[in-house]
Amino acid sequence: MAEDKEPMVSAVDMAKKYGDFIALHPLNVEVHAGEFFGVFGPNGAGKSTFIKLLTGQLRPSKGRIEVLGVDAVEDPQKVKANIGIVPESESPPSFLTPAEFLEFVARLRGVDDMKAKVEHWLEWFGLQEKRDTMCKDLSKGQRQKVMLASAFIHKPKLLFLDEPFANLDPIYQRKCRVWLLDHVAEGGTIFLCSHVLEMAERMCNRMAIINDGKVLAAGTVKGLKQSKEETLEDVFIRLVGRSIEDVERYSDEGVNDDSEE
Amino acid sequence: MGDTFIESRSWTDDDFSKPGPLGTSSHDAVLSEPLRGWASFSATFRVMFLEEARKSVEFAKKRQMVLFPLLLTLVTAISTIGLQFLVGDSTAQSSDLESKTFTWQELRFALHLPMFMFSLGMGTFAFMGRDAIVRRTGTKNFLLAAPALQPLPNSMAHFAYFVKDLLFYVLLILTPIIAGMALGILLDGVAGIRTPLLWSSLPWTWLAMATTLGQGLALSFLASSLWLRGRPFTVVGPLLIVALGVAVGAGFLPADVLLWGLAAQSSQSGLAILLGLLLSLGLGLVASLLILDDFDVSVVERGDLLSPVHDRLGFLGRGHIRLIVAKEFVDLFRSGAIKKMTVSYAIPLLVLLGMAWLVDFAEAPIPINLLSYAPFLGFFGFNFYSWLTILDSPEFMNGLPLKVPDLIRAKVVVYFLATSWISLIFIVLMAWRLDEWGSLPTSIIVMFANSVYIVALTAFLMGLRPNKAIFDASIMVWFWIGTVLPLLGLFLLSFTQGDVSLYGNWWERASQDGLAATAQMYDESMVQQGYMGMIAISVGLIFASALLWKLMDNRWGRSEFSN
Repeated sequence: MAEDKEPMVSAVDMAKKYGDFIALHPLNVEVHAGEFFGVFGPNGAGKSTFIKLLTGQLRPSKGRIEVLGVDAVEDPQKVKANIGIVPESESPPSFLTPAEFLEFVARLRGVDDMKAKVEHWLEWFGLQEKRDTMCKDLSKGQRQKVMLASAFIHKPKLLFLDEPFANLDPIYQRKCRVWLLDHVAEGGTIFLCSHVLEMAERMCNRMAIINDGKVLAAGTVKGLKQSKEETLEDVFIRLVGRSIEDVERYSDEGVNDDSEE
Repeated sequence: MGDTFIESRSWTDDDFSKPGPLGTSSHDAVLSEPLRGWASFSATFRVMFLEEARKSVEFAKKRQMVLFPLLLTLVTAISTIGLQFLVGDSTAQSSDLESKTFTWQELRFALHLPMFMFSLGMGTFAFMGRDAIVRRTGTKNFLLAAPALQPLPNSMAHFAYFVKDLLFYVLLILTPIIAGMALGILLDGVAGIRTPLLWSSLPWTWLAMATTLGQGLALSFLASSLWLRGRPFTVVGPLLIVALGVAVGAGFLPADVLLWGLAAQSSQSGLAILLGLLLSLGLGLVASLLILDDFDVSVVERGDLLSPVHDRLGFLGRGHIRLIVAKEFVDLFRSGAIKKMTVSYAIPLLVLLGMAWLVDFAEAPIPINLLSYAPFLGFFGFNFYSWLTILDSPEFMNGLPLKVPDLIRAKVVVYFLATSWISLIFIVLMAWRLDEWGSLPTSIIVMFANSVYIVALTAFLMGLRPNKAIFDASIMVWFWIGTVLPLLGLFLLSFTQGDVSLYGNWWERASQDGLAATAQMYDESMVQQGYMGMIAISVGLIFASALLWKLMDNRWGRSEFSN
């Protein structure tokens, strides 16, 4: 029996640089079993780079990464075979139908009772009527459902989600939220990246806020607040180095209005 | 249970990491092994084939997809019937057959060479895979990008793609050609129709051509894989291709050494066929193994390039076209495609130049001269234009006050600006080599007229999707008529500059002496008429280009931006 203190994910000095641009500063992280861990930050903060490094989609410029006891730099295939990934903006292959794509994923992942599971997830996401429509002809929300289903179909213990609810309607946002919380309650682990702070309050045990590729703060949602009155949005704005007044002030000084010329 | 923790450190801090495991575990879950080798190939191949069929049908529609193989069958059936005249098996030809007709070996070469060139143009799978990875967050995503998220090796996805394309072309191109040959043989004896082709040669031809197709795709795949590995392959590769092309063209190296399918068909040896096919698949496998699991889309900051390029394009006026041309040039430079495209455009020209250096065309039965080359240069524009259409997804333009014809026209302009200097250098070097300075001005006019016309015709007929149009019968018929007729006219007229007698009584001499027809006299008035004829056709092509330019709005004005 593995010790509970053994993490599911661990990275030491993991960093990513493109030329002179540092997308992610060296970072140490450990994610433990049963956690719903969220990384939040403004657009371009380095969240997606973070998740891509941990899931073997990117090679780090330096540092080491291990997931479920597998070196993610040496054997990214094995890491991918045992986790589920929902990317930020990737769609399913345009010329396959949802059913075909899920079957392809299930086959690659060696899922038992493949046909039944494909049908189950199509039904779960309300995609039965679209099962034979090519993905290019689906709405953005429907494509996102296909991507979620492809990450859930093998019921992995560890899920990496990057803006998972983008374009989902409120019904399916709630449905997915409940499923994810149940999954964690049953011993699953989730690593989430988003800029939607509401998700942190509703779902995460722990969270970190990053900006410019650096972790600014980490802890429980409650622990990050300086006072009872402070909202998570206030915390976020404070931590990324802006003032509420500055954010709320609207100015178009220096921008010419062509219509008045 | 331990607590999740996270912290950032400075880039310059000492390295924390120590060798050895980091202490994570799967908490007693049995980990799945990713599919590897044959298992991952078979899981991917079938779905990729389906994807390819849907992609082609989306552009060409089902009816045209069926018509294309039918058209090929029909054309091949007619050619099969006409074979008797080419190989001297006709009753009209009676004596000294050897010198008057093509040998079977020459005909086989004429069958394999175009197939080889076609497959070379279609097999740059490493570039396609890279594009799929880079664009996977765009509006269209393809299975070739699946390894980024799924437990599938990138090399295996590429190998499956190679085999899928090979099979697709065998089914859609080769099999209809063989069916056409079969139809020609079936018609033997009907209404006096005769063909020297035998049933027994069909399986050999089919297998041998499949070998040539596979070899071309594999070589092109290998070249693109090596190119992505960077230097020295980006320098050595093209030089090697040029050297081999020149060596074969100049006769230093027998063609069947390079064309395995041709060698196999000539020897009619099952072992040679098997060896050729295995070698092609092996080369494809090597090319795919060179593909790395690299899904990095580099983030590079650049200075403003759009404004400087736009400023330099003042000669294009102030309209939309100038702005789109500037954007297309920025795409070309930033994507790095300009290097690949320039090299691939220049390679066939360098091969032709190398051949001109080594072959004494005065001894050739057909008087090839500078003006004979000029029309063919335009033909290479098709590939360049095709490449331009896949550089970037144009779908963001749907929300802008632009029309598809604006973008198509901009791409034609980019083609002309990016390649005309290469063609010009080539034709000048050729004039120097052949010592034909007198015909250089006319050659330049012919070359540019033909070049602009062929790209304008491609753009008009195929719009933003030339790669998918090759299976659309209705488009290919018009493309064939639109290119072959002027090209043939210019090519035949070019002979007036050397062997006037051959031109003057073309039919008579060709039917009497075949390829052995030779120059006997030199007629100044015929030379003048030839020049005038070529100039007239070139002016006609320029007018036709202008007309196609105008008609773009009618054909593509209501289309949406999509490639």
